[in-house]
Amino acid sequence: MRFAPLAAWIVLGIWAAPAVADEAHDWLERLAQAERAQSYQGTFIYERNGSFSTHAIWRRVEGEGSHERLLQLDGMPQEVVRVDDQISCVTGSLADQLSTGPLWPSRQLIAAQLQQSYELRLVGKSRVAGRAAVVLALLPRDQHRYGIELHVDMQSGLPLKSLLLSDKGQLLERFQFTRLNTSMPATKSLQGGAGCQPLRPAVTQIETDPVWQSDWLPPGFALHASTQRRSPASDEAVACLVYGDGLARFSVFLEPLRGAAAEDLRSQVGPTTAVSRRVQTEQGDVMVTVVGEIPMGTAERVALSMRALPAEEAP
Amino acid sequence: MSRETLHESLSAVMDNQADELELRRVLAASEDADVRATWSRYQLARAVMHKELLEPRLDIAAAVSAALADEPAPALQPRAPASWRTLGRLAVAASVTLAVLVGVRFYNQDAITGAQMAQQAAQPMLSLPQVQGPALLAGFSSESEQAQASGQPAQPSTWHEQRLPSYLRQHAQQAAMSGADSALPYARAASLESR
Repeated sequence: MRFAPLAAWIVLGIWAAPAVADEAHDWLERLAQAERAQSYQGTFIYERNGSFSTHAIWRRVEGEGSHERLLQLDGMPQEVVRVDDQISCVTGSLADQLSTGPLWPSRQLIAAQLQQSYELRLVGKSRVAGRAAVVLALLPRDQHRYGIELHVDMQSGLPLKSLLLSDKGQLLERFQFTRLNTSMPATKSLQGGAGCQPLRPAVTQIETDPVWQSDWLPPGFALHASTQRRSPASDEAVACLVYGDGLARFSVFLEPLRGAAAEDLRSQVGPTTAVSRRVQTEQGDVMVTVVGEIPMGTAERVALSMRALPAEEAP
Repeated sequence: MSRETLHESLSAVMDNQADELELRRVLAASEDADVRATWSRYQLARAVMHKELLEPRLDIAAAVSAALADEPAPALQPRAPASWRTLGRLAVAASVTLAVLVGVRFYNQDAITGAQMAQQAAQPMLSLPQVQGPALLAGFSSESEQAQASGQPAQPSTWHEQRLPSYLRQHAQQAAMSGADSALPYARAASLESR
């Protein structure tokens, strides 16, 4: 099984001489550092099955403070401006499912932690957005997560290109800069447009002690938050649990069916899998929906492993 | 014949190890809903072991039967011009062919092309007038379609339609607003809006 992802890399023609692991670690550390501390501006594309879009990004880091603006350049102007990692303004439709606070910690590109779930390799050199890059591969150690191919700018350490690949080597999504400039963006370009509004939580969501738990989780994944909010379609309270392994994330939604007719479901939107499974509890059937950037088989197994905690055992 | 013997035979057929007797035994029992369900479960188990993506509830035979049952019998339309009857036959043939094609293609799908096909469901190709809905839809993943295909009362999947987009966007937006690696999760969230 371990060799299936490897074979995919070979087919993609990016496999080079056996890498020096330490050098790959150094590049990953450098990438993490650049994502925090480097000022830059540029344009990038995002492509997944059924969607292709172009975006601009401006990021200015001064001392401990950061100022960042992201703007979709085609179609409706989706936009978000963040100051010191807090949302300063955002276009409405990008935030209408948000409540308060981040649920996941920011991506942890700490080589030592990722090592448990991914094998890190330096697989070659490339050129992206007119810049020289080194290619890092994060090969999953099991079938419960996808592989990532990262092209890191040699000069700045910024990620120029990121591909998400299934175990069969298929491209699930592409993030790729077309232009990158490491000069400091002007204050004017960091201002949000007219549609960019301060974040007003559109939904009420409360942090709760989990009343559900998963009997099985893919290795390396941990629970990061447990919340509850109103169902998008009824007055039912929907429990939401979010999990991550430092790179991949998934959410589990649990909504009581109250006798409603609803079938099990499997769906895939680009890199994101959605699996719904009906689970029986003493209070009636509940629909468990797992949504995340994980393989379908894994999402299914998580959905089937969800168990309601008996009231007296709940912490 | 005991249930257990039948299950053993079923397992043997699936592994291509069945002898003539076992094959006949399974074929004789193939109308039985329980046997079909068991067959589906075995296929799923095997698919999981082989790491294949598979829609276990795909039941082409039931879908084709349903399509044929829906087709108005020629005897009920004595005045219909010959050309219409021909068209009707073509329609059945087309729907059966499509069901098989779609089914076979779906069996060989992996994640991204599976999603492509699911998206094609909304495309004009599938609204061709001569196509019988149930047979065609049998290849796609929602089980309400399966319910239709096997002749049970149709259950619209409105439950999911009302919720899944919201769940997807909630997941994407929460990930997008979570931290320093924001560009990629942001782009994922934005891609759900620009349709």
